[in-house]
Amino acid sequence: MKAPFSEYLTGIAEGLKKLTAVLDQEFDYVSILASDTKGLNIRVSGRSKSVSNETVQTERGIVVRTARDGYYSEYATNLFDPRDIQSLAEQIRKSFEEQNQIMKAAGVKPYETPVLNDEPLTLFVEMETEQLPETADVQSIVGRLTEITERESEKREEIRDCILSCRSNHVSKMFLTKNRDLRQSYVFSEASAYTLAARGDRSEAWHEGASGRCGPELFEKISECAAKASDSAVSLLDAERIVPGEYEIITTPEVSGLIAHEAFGHGVEMDMFVKNRALGKEYIGKRVGSDLVTMHEGALCAEEVSSYAFDDEGILAGDVTEIENGILRTGICDALSALRLGTVPTGNGKRENYSHKVYTRMTNTIFDSGESTAEEMIASVKKGYLLVGMQSGMEDPKHWGIQCIISSGHEIIDGKLTGKIVSPVIMTGYVPDLLGNVSMVSGDREVFGCGMCGKGYKEWVKVSDGGPYLKTKARLG
Amino acid sequence: MIGKLTEILKECGADAWELQELKTEGWEFYFIRKKLDQNRVKKITDYRITVYKYSDDGKYFGSASAPVSPDETEENLRKTAEDLCYQASLVKNRPYKLNQPADAEKAEQKETDIAKISSDFIKAVNSIDETKTEDINSHEIFVSSIERRLITSEGIDITEKYPYSMCEAVINARNEKQEIELYRMFRSGTCDEKSLAEGIGRAMQFGRDRLKTEKTPVTGNIPVVLSTDDAVSVYTYFLERISTQAVYQKISDWQTGKPVAEGITGDRMNIRSVRYLPNSSANRLYDSEGAPIRDLQLMKDSVPCSLWGNRMTSQYLGLEDTFSVTNVIFEGGTAEEEEIRSGRYLEVVEFSDFQVDTVTGSIFGEIRLAYYHDNDMVKIVSGGSVSGTMRDFMKNMRMSKEMKQYNSYMIPALTRLENVTVTGAE
Repeated sequence: MKAPFSEYLTGIAEGLKKLTAVLDQEFDYVSILASDTKGLNIRVSGRSKSVSNETVQTERGIVVRTARDGYYSEYATNLFDPRDIQSLAEQIRKSFEEQNQIMKAAGVKPYETPVLNDEPLTLFVEMETEQLPETADVQSIVGRLTEITERESEKREEIRDCILSCRSNHVSKMFLTKNRDLRQSYVFSEASAYTLAARGDRSEAWHEGASGRCGPELFEKISECAAKASDSAVSLLDAERIVPGEYEIITTPEVSGLIAHEAFGHGVEMDMFVKNRALGKEYIGKRVGSDLVTMHEGALCAEEVSSYAFDDEGILAGDVTEIENGILRTGICDALSALRLGTVPTGNGKRENYSHKVYTRMTNTIFDSGESTAEEMIASVKKGYLLVGMQSGMEDPKHWGIQCIISSGHEIIDGKLTGKIVSPVIMTGYVPDLLGNVSMVSGDREVFGCGMCGKGYKEWVKVSDGGPYLKTKARLG
Repeated sequence: MIGKLTEILKECGADAWELQELKTEGWEFYFIRKKLDQNRVKKITDYRITVYKYSDDGKYFGSASAPVSPDETEENLRKTAEDLCYQASLVKNRPYKLNQPADAEKAEQKETDIAKISSDFIKAVNSIDETKTEDINSHEIFVSSIERRLITSEGIDITEKYPYSMCEAVINARNEKQEIELYRMFRSGTCDEKSLAEGIGRAMQFGRDRLKTEKTPVTGNIPVVLSTDDAVSVYTYFLERISTQAVYQKISDWQTGKPVAEGITGDRMNIRSVRYLPNSSANRLYDSEGAPIRDLQLMKDSVPCSLWGNRMTSQYLGLEDTFSVTNVIFEGGTAEEEEIRSGRYLEVVEFSDFQVDTVTGSIFGEIRLAYYHDNDMVKIVSGGSVSGTMRDFMKNMRMSKEMKQYNSYMIPALTRLENVTVTGAE
């Protein structure tokens, strides 16, 4: 079925167009993004349950962007009355004028930026889904999750709890200007299992998830996630600490995705180029990895949690080749940054929600596949680790440092897994070294979308990342 | 809207309900160097409703919640409330009692002047001394006036108004060979010009030093001293493990009356919840469920004395009179600065991202800037990482007597962890 476009947004569209027309009389540029996202959020553990129709992504509201005299300004509200356009237009004028007064008093000047392009374009997209969060069978889902968490909790005496979460979002967005009318709706969902295990005074936990641009039908995968999470959490209770040092490593697709995200995802967000905050700006056309490293980024790269038809600035979704055979080709860019840099936007302008500012953000960031098999890669390691399970990462675009917290390392000696596990593992290093040492790449690949991405320590948005197994060298601690 | 929603909730068949209204007016300013990237205004009113239902046999008490828009039709609101009643009936939690009306501490509630606070922030950042080699790359200012109202079927009807501010700053330092950056986020109620200037000034000093770093040497396990807001993560480990959520979910096995570790030879931890801290963005009278927030000793000499947390998990543990803490003071330090900064140790002042895992106690962080001290010798170093577990560190950690406030947390200014695994970068 098609994910139906929001009746609410359809109902206010004409009113918003009138508001655009009113504001167009005095501003050089006016656009409106209107959002309406419905959600379902079910959490079941052995200790408690909850059902909510709210997720991090649920929202309903509008944001008006204007440009005048070099100033770009925005007004976000969820108090829109189509019968009283003039009052909102007046409120917008008044608020910007009040802000102008304090900026004028402080001697603030605008960052000179040309007026955004407003080439005519219309689009109406309703993407496919099997189910919708609004009409999901909550009784059946709660019952199924209860069975699974009971099954996992009884599996091993060390398991303290298996916490299951299922979330689904039905997104509708409408972007309007004088010349543009873009409307899209789609559904994305996530299912995750988090198992806590303890023995003596030692506690460990493991997270396992599934995601996709699809409806609550995805929740079927949670049984498999729970089983993996429980087995992995219990195995960590016997894990040792790693002896710090540099090792040969094989990264599983999830860890490869974390590297893609942290290494050259953040590193080529071009709003950072405007601020001279990214070393990538100076490396376009230069080598940043081995010949085996090719990386794509864009909403069209996968059918995942951030695979939309247009971004939050009304730019159509793209597929950018960031790294091609080790050479950094280009970055990703929002519309305002593109104007400032004299380049074209790539469909990566995203907001946390309608009330937040647009930044250049990742969508799907994925290493391309190679030709080896995971078995061949493991067999080629003299002494090293297979890295499994990601916890978190941190970017450093200015200096190309990387920090990845990985759940476990499985020891490899003379081409064989020894059964010894170390945990946790901190992988640190210099990005061009890490990617420059990539010597084998597997032919398969996976994409993961259960995480959130921040800009600094805020502005959380959904992204996915992934890739094949990679063999390289890294410092582990 | 409040009247309409209250009426619908009373009529929807719920056994109990809650209604929250959150009004936010916000001003934001984004700067690249000294120039304005964008200015933004927010005017938003959010509503959230929660309904509770007992099962027919009274064995279970479930809840379900949903956000509702201020312009939602009455028909849709009634349908949402009915749907929530059905969903709540599927949630089979053990029964617990909701909060009853209770008086909080009397405090004056002032209107927030977002124009003045915004102006103060813009002037404060502009007045910071920059040099040819250290300056502010970009900064973002967020000022909000928030009004929160909570109405429940149990008779609670409270309204609070408060300011919330953030200032994010990226600081550059450079020499002929390279330019580096440091990231800072300041959260507060209103603009605290002095803290902002001190924080950015200190970052500029760190920036100068970072240009002179050597690779972190292979030191083996050594003491690590934390003297920045990264130390907050160490203290929140203690706080989170005495929450009713953590104890009930078996994430934590800490209990009141029992020391958090055996054989503690270092400083003993004292934790106090306080309703008010100067200019904290978390100065509230009530928590999100309507329980009054008050001053309360949570841990004394490393022995938990009161757990804190939400209504459901508190009641499941047999606790009444609990609340979700907002401002917290961590005390117990007995050390002077000279004791903490003594012998061979590594003082780490910049991490990529310092983390403490509440479940496992593991700490980790990549070192971006640290000072390696070996008695009188000091090396400025970068690279490598720190790791270890709080299960070991809390037995002999040392804390300074001197305290420092980071928004809603007051912690010892210096924290020393012994025998930390440091992976060098040489």
